[in-house]
Amino acid sequence: MSYTSREAFFAFRRSPLLTALSILTIAFALYTLSVFGLVWLNIERVLADVEERVEVVAYLEDGAEPGDTSVLVREVAAYPEVDSIAYVSKDAALERARTDLSEYSELYSDLEENPLPASIEIALKPGYRRSADVEDVARRVARFPFVEEIKYGEEWVEKLDFLQNLSLFLGVVVGGIFAGIAFVSIGATINMVMISRSEEIEIMKMVGAATGFIARPFVIEGFTKGVLGAVLALALLTATFETLQQRVLTLEFYAPIQLVLGVVLGGCLGAIASLLSLRRHLRSW
Amino acid sequence: MIRFEHVSKEYSRTGFALKNASFHLRKGEFMFVTGPSGAGKTTLVKMVTMEERPTSGVVRVSGYSSESIKRREIPLLRRRLGVVFQDFRLLRNRTARENVAFVLEVTGADTEQIKPRVLRTLAAVGLSDKADRLPSELSGGEQQRVAIARALVNDPFVLLADEPTGNLDHRIALDVLRVFKDINLRGMAVVFVTHDRSLLEHHPGARIIELDEGRIVGDSAAEEDPAA
Ligand SMILES: Nc1ncnc2c1ncn2[C@@H]1O[C@H](COP(=O)(O)OP(=O)(O)OP(=O)(O)O)[C@@H](O)[C@H]1O
Ligand SMILES: [Mg+2]
Repeated sequence: MSYTSREAFFAFRRSPLLTALSILTIAFALYTLSVFGLVWLNIERVLADVEERVEVVAYLEDGAEPGDTSVLVREVAAYPEVDSIAYVSKDAALERARTDLSEYSELYSDLEENPLPASIEIALKPGYRRSADVEDVARRVARFPFVEEIKYGEEWVEKLDFLQNLSLFLGVVVGGIFAGIAFVSIGATINMVMISRSEEIEIMKMVGAATGFIARPFVIEGFTKGVLGAVLALALLTATFETLQQRVLTLEFYAPIQLVLGVVLGGCLGAIASLLSLRRHLRSW
Repeated sequence: MIRFEHVSKEYSRTGFALKNASFHLRKGEFMFVTGPSGAGKTTLVKMVTMEERPTSGVVRVSGYSSESIKRREIPLLRRRLGVVFQDFRLLRNRTARENVAFVLEVTGADTEQIKPRVLRTLAAVGLSDKADRLPSELSGGEQQRVAIARALVNDPFVLLADEPTGNLDHRIALDVLRVFKDINLRGMAVVFVTHDRSLLEHHPGARIIELDEGRIVGDSAAEEDPAA
């Protein structure tokens, strides 16, 4: 067996507990990150759906002159954010209410006076459907004197936006904490191995083994721990996902390529942690 | 080969370990370095291996200079040196053969060549019949021979030995000195560090450098070759 392959798994045998701790913390780091990532992904999907339907509706005062209305339509249609605009007259609104809410059609059938206002429905271009843009358009439309009320899905959009940012934030913070612990425990493993292998490493330095050669088994070991951690995280993630899927609703999962990248990321995390703590030892060579 | 040009080494806490030392070790030369404890003998060896850099002056070894050598070149330099220590520094859980082979394994030697080279080198130090023993199953003198074989196996141009007989009885020390002389006869330069002056008379032809408090106070070859 070559030196590198013989040495690479020395720590696994020498200190299984420390090794297990390293793997577990990497697993938790990646699991946390991936769960919050999944939340982010699914909110993103819902947001995309919601956005499709985002529109600003301006209800007009009953007294609005047809001339005023056409000025409004023309000006708003010229906003760069606006995709299309539709005028719904009082009559049309009533008609729509009758068909949409057929159960209540009686309610509308014997009205002496049409209670529904005329409105303008403003659809926004893609890219302008996030809350800030929507609010901005709504604010400008509201300035027209005969606009009585403005409606748009403000709360929804804001809440989802907030949740999405929160999940990203939590994922990064909690995942980062676990990643930090993983780095420390990988570093501790390396220090331990360095001490118990100090004679051997001294001799290697003395006889002119390349620094990269001496570092290689440690880096391989770190990478392996990272990959094992990532696979563990993936198993946990899949279990979590299946449970949610059964209990709640159809959710979106990561694409296979993203999962592969995640496992590679775990490996790189382990290798980098090894390199960082090796650097201290490398410097004295 | 090896050239020291006005080399001084000052440690911030303990002062000068080496002061204005100049000498030139020629190809195939046998050189004793002697002097009392604390004279700077080990410091001199560490300068050659570039474990330590001079505070002033220049150390030149085999085409490398202490002024310009890059960190990643140091392993390459060390492959051209063979180093032996007082305390042998063998790996306890490996046999004589494995200890010697270790050098070749970790410096990327051709796998095919490892076995024959190891056996040839063990034969050169007279240990063919004990190749499969662990260090704990060998006498002090035999352990030092394994260490010498390990230093030799990569075909260095010089063998540096820092008190190689310091842990051995006088009689065994003479045996080990004879091994160094044999190797030197085959053309390899030797730097043999010892504070034991009685060894010097057993190799009358060798050059002797005497250190005291970091200064070279005697060099049997100085008249012929005023360094730098
Ligand atoms: N790393 C160091 N830091 C500070 N001082 C040092 C260091 N190494 C050696 N010295 C000092 O430098 C001087 C020379 O030390 P060196 O080890 O070269 O002596 P030596 O001739 O090999 O002695 P010995 O025969 O006891 O081995 C001593 O005074 C020692 O205390
Ligand atoms: Mg010494």
